Amino acid sequence: MIDQLDELVTQAVARAFDTMLNLKVAAEPADAAVWNGEPHVAGSVGFIGRLTGVVYIYSTASFARRITCQLLGLNDEEIDGEEMVNDAIGELTNMVVGQIKSQLSDRGMPCVLTIPSIVRGSHFVVEAVTSTTRRVSTFRCGEHRLAVETLIKTS
Amino acid sequence: MPIKILTVDDSKTIRLIIAKAFKPFDCEVLEASNGVEGLAMAAKEKPHIIILDLTMPVMDGYEALTKLKSDPDLKSIPVVMLTAESGRENVLRIAKQGVRDYLVKPFKEELIVERVSRIIDLKPKGVTVPKARRFDDPVSILVVDDKPAICEQVRLGLGDTQWTVLGRGQAGEAIDYCGRTVPDVVIVSLSLPDNSAYSLFQMLRSQQKSKGTPVFAMCVKTAVDDQTRAQQTGFTGIITKPIDFEDVKMKIARALSLDTSYKYFEHRDGVLWIKLPSGFSQSTANEVSAHLRSKVAEAVDAGLGKVIFDVSPLKSADLSLIKLGLDVMQFCQEMSLRLRMVGNGAVSAECRKYEETKDWSFLGSFDEAVAALNGRESVAA
Repeated sequence: MIDQLDELVTQAVARAFDTMLNLKVAAEPADAAVWNGEPHVAGSVGFIGRLTGVVYIYSTASFARRITCQLLGLNDEEIDGEEMVNDAIGELTNMVVGQIKSQLSDRGMPCVLTIPSIVRGSHFVVEAVTSTTRRVSTFRCGEHRLAVETLIKTS
Repeated sequence: MPIKILTVDDSKTIRLIIAKAFKPFDCEVLEASNGVEGLAMAAKEKPHIIILDLTMPVMDGYEALTKLKSDPDLKSIPVVMLTAESGRENVLRIAKQGVRDYLVKPFKEELIVERVSRIIDLKPKGVTVPKARRFDDPVSILVVDDKPAICEQVRLGLGDTQWTVLGRGQAGEAIDYCGRTVPDVVIVSLSLPDNSAYSLFQMLRSQQKSKGTPVFAMCVKTAVDDQTRAQQTGFTGIITKPIDFEDVKMKIARALSLDTSYKYFEHRDGVLWIKLPSGFSQSTANEVSAHLRSKVAEAVDAGLGKVIFDVSPLKSADLSLIKLGLDVMQFCQEMSLRLRMVGNGAVSAECRKYEETKDWSFLGSFDEAVAALNGRESVAA
């Protein structure tokens, strides 16, 4: 199942971006550099059940603002603080992970989702503990980059 | 009362997207951020529809739905689930609770509007009530029948109106046409192959722009089972072959709420002139009766004190005419209006046969009746 995760992630990200934002994303080599030193925003949603893990979606703060504008049909100046961006990124992450969760459930691995959370910062790293599988998919969306990190508890 | 849509979702983003999606429509979008708030809001506001998320803090959508459906005051409110979780198990679990529809995130705004408008009647904002159309205004009619002769027959049968009849031989062609231009009325033959008349009907009802378009089913008079099925499906009405075009005109006029009163009521020479056509029938009597009280009141309001009931084009008198005549007399007496009747020898002779009408007297023309009314003669009958 873990082998199929990359494909599930790619499909879920492409569908969420296309449907909600009318933006096309293209998968890139997993080792492509995502960050340019800019502050970034990470949305995360966990899933707990037969398969337990967490998915992080990383974007730069400027791309997160653009995503928010696109999602809500607003101009940049209409964004009412970072809370609005956080909620939008959290919801988008929820949509991506919701699709993955549904696919997992239909393949005999039922699980429930956690509520979305957001991490903001310039220099942070999520370190996987032992007995956790880590997968990273990266995507290009116009001039912006996006990374999706999936941590799965394997024990 | 404006349409109220309640969105229950812990994500402010989703609530904003829903509010944005329905902004072009004449409705109010109410918000709640969890099941508890949603139930309280539903009880207070009695929304026309609820768009409910599944995964929420405090009380999730499943529990909220269960409580809603067990509340006698709220259980009839249609619910559309909107959730990021589309697994088969979830869908089945929720379907058992009686939701009207189920939408999975991510979703297009147009899709949620489309699904909601299947359940409630959404009207675009700022649309004013159009001026009532008259029977002699242009009406576009699409006839869908694989026999071109039928389309031609309808065209000829409605040739004395301002209505345009367009023919299409297959349901697919009609769907293409309606995708571009929605006609005022659709008449579709139930004998189209593969039940495509029903597919066309369902497609028209599923589209926001054609959901209110009257769709008549057409079949032979003896096809009773077909007629029953069409009625159960929800067709606006049935047109049977051989076609009675006076009946078709009446049905279309009724379906489009076309004003037909001008055909029977006219203000002329200071008089309200009620004139019946030569093709007078029970349905004509019903139509005149439907307008009678308002037209008499309108005449009084306009300062008219005289009425002429003109049956001269009729070749005979039947019970529907007699009943209508008695109604006219009654209204005139109630409103203290002076009445004269215009008729011919045949109608006059028949009226003398009945107790109720034996005293009716008819003048030969409208002008004679006007002269009589202006001479302040006594009220007829």
